[in-house]
Amino acid sequence: MSRKLSRRSFLKGAGVFAAAPLATRLDLFRTFSKSPLLQDVPSVRPITIQINDSPWFAGFEALVDLYVETTGNEVNLDVSPFAGMLQKSRNAVQAPESEFDILNLNEQWYSMFYQGGLVAPLREIDPDFELDPNIIEYDYATRWDFDLNYSGPNGELYGLPINGNIQLYFYRKDLFEENGLSPAETWDDVASNAAALHNPPNMHGFTLRTNPSNFEFQAYLVSHGADIVTLDAETGEWVVQLDTPEAVAALNTWISLGKNYGPTNLADLDQAANLALMNSGRLAQVHMVSAAAPNFQDPNQSIVVDQVGAGVVPAGPARRATMSGIWVMSIPTNLPAERQQAALTFLKWALSKEAQIYYSQAGAIPVRQDVYEELSDDPALGWWMSAVAESTPYIVGQVRLAEAPQFFEVLDRRTVEALIGELSPEDAMMEAAREVHTILQQSGYNVRDLRS
Amino acid sequence: MARPSTLAEAPPSAGAASKPAGVLDFFDRTFKYWAVLPTVIVLTLLTIQPALQLIQMSVSDVQFSGGQLQWTFVGLDNFKYLATDVVFPVALRNTLIFVVCVVVIETFLGLVLAFAVSRVGRFSPIYRAVFVTPILIPAVAIGTMWRLMYDYNFGIINQILALFGIAGPTWTGDPNLALISVMIVDIWHWTSFLFLILLAGVESLPHELSEAARVDGANEWQVYRHVLLPMMRPTIIVALMLRTILAFKVFDEIFLLTGGGPGTASQVISMHIYTVFFEQFRLGYGALLALLMALIISVFVIFYQWVNAMARKTM
Repeated sequence: MSRKLSRRSFLKGAGVFAAAPLATRLDLFRTFSKSPLLQDVPSVRPITIQINDSPWFAGFEALVDLYVETTGNEVNLDVSPFAGMLQKSRNAVQAPESEFDILNLNEQWYSMFYQGGLVAPLREIDPDFELDPNIIEYDYATRWDFDLNYSGPNGELYGLPINGNIQLYFYRKDLFEENGLSPAETWDDVASNAAALHNPPNMHGFTLRTNPSNFEFQAYLVSHGADIVTLDAETGEWVVQLDTPEAVAALNTWISLGKNYGPTNLADLDQAANLALMNSGRLAQVHMVSAAAPNFQDPNQSIVVDQVGAGVVPAGPARRATMSGIWVMSIPTNLPAERQQAALTFLKWALSKEAQIYYSQAGAIPVRQDVYEELSDDPALGWWMSAVAESTPYIVGQVRLAEAPQFFEVLDRRTVEALIGELSPEDAMMEAAREVHTILQQSGYNVRDLRS
Repeated sequence: MARPSTLAEAPPSAGAASKPAGVLDFFDRTFKYWAVLPTVIVLTLLTIQPALQLIQMSVSDVQFSGGQLQWTFVGLDNFKYLATDVVFPVALRNTLIFVVCVVVIETFLGLVLAFAVSRVGRFSPIYRAVFVTPILIPAVAIGTMWRLMYDYNFGIINQILALFGIAGPTWTGDPNLALISVMIVDIWHWTSFLFLILLAGVESLPHELSEAARVDGANEWQVYRHVLLPMMRPTIIVALMLRTILAFKVFDEIFLLTGGGPGTASQVISMHIYTVFFEQFRLGYGALLALLMALIISVFVIFYQWVNAMARKTM
């Protein structure tokens, strides 16, 4: 589906703001569209942006509307469902000239585009380009270091974050106040709060996402001092961390919280099911993506509006960790310089502080630390923006190897096998470690032997 | 006078006499080859070429690099992944269980319905329309509909069970029930396909033989068992073969209902190929798995053809 946006189309599509009444939305748009900071943009040729039809799309579309209004530059949006995004991106970069000026790449597959040279280094397009230090890099998801063959601080800039989705801890503020409970700081706190509120089938103390499980489970791993794999910088060896006691402890915590306080259909819970449990007032605490926050405030979906609080993902014995699940925007290599310049012009504008504040108020997840801090006092958004701002020091990127999707599939399978009792937690983690080790070996990595 | 059986045997027309007899003769003799040539070309382009590419991919390592797909010949290297793939054997086992169960049950139900509807008389069109409905609904809609019906908290199935005081199970979350839950949906969806094929077969059966059997004193069971079923055998075998091929490729129902889980409880080959191809981007290994699946299906097709040939001999 292709959408051409213009000043006129804005008036037709003004209803993109889900959280505010129409008059407020228009006021907001009028205020921002007159901002001199946002108007200081050169006139460039029209661009086409590939974008997924995810819950934050409305916010992105509003941002593009504002760009069109303030700069007069034209933008076409090519909107796809999530499932078709990767294939379209791959087709675009294999063509003689990409149909898209900007690709939207998920954290789980951007490395393939950076590593394969399918997108252009930003400083090749604009040698003077400097990344604003307020833009959160999400464990260097913006960069690729060809020496490490990984995302690292010394890598070249290949992409800019556009959706700063990380994990948060959500809880029922009203129930916590009634029962004199405090938001959980640790997984043990989660268990004790859950024990106090668990009253199935009408109220569950906590739940897990099990279909698929890997994204949230990685936070348990890291908070217990484990991981899927780590790189030993001294020896250059990759070390599988799933055969450690810490990994088994992480799995035990995960299973124990789910089995003791989760719903009966625990083994088949996806994100939508957990959202539905919270929105229907049947869940006391949950660990899920920050993008879920606007859903809890939407009276069309939720009966717990204004009753949900947010905090940093609880700590394990080792540390706190919130995994990032972000999107980055990159510019294909197979474009003439003029198109690349036009694309970068949009991205620079979209990541400016003013544009990001507008983007947040339109219901999207910003990517700037100063925006999170400034909106922490916002009456509508502050309750979760402050939690995201607090979470920044604990952000951990997911494994960024080409083989990462194989690791995730292993984790999805083995964790649930332990949950349903097909394997003991020790065996599940050992089997997972063996599989990940084999994957690394077969792919030619220098990989350290397993511990046992 | 006997008519010529081929164009070559036909006497030359007056117009043709003026053309070189050799050229005409050549075209007459080779006409059958020219007639099938367009089909051969289309088949080659649409079937054989992609199959060859799949074979080529299965012995290659395919990577994106420098803005292009890079193919590197690796011979039988992709087999090493097969040896260490712990999901494939489970997926193969689940697929075989799935195929055998759904094909047998759907064929039995399809046959019963076909015989029943053929005897209904004036209400037959209504029954046909009702029984054919599931096959007309898109698979995505069916998956979504059943996902809602199976929902532990809000699904209608558990709500009905609750009316009788029965606590409904977690249909898609219980490893012992997940594959069975998918089979129930598949049987609901695909029985109508078997019904349509078998009904066409039933309606083409000559009535004289069954009438003669009845006149000779055969009861209804004996008529079905010894007259109608043997005559239906070729149709049943074709229906079995088509349905087996389709059942091996089951994907949408699994994808929408269970995602292959919990764990690997409902994992099937096509779902595994999808994961390898589109989530793990291992194109070479994915192609090898696809090729293996095609080979397994071919074994079944050959088996059915052999059974069909045996059946013809005994008739």
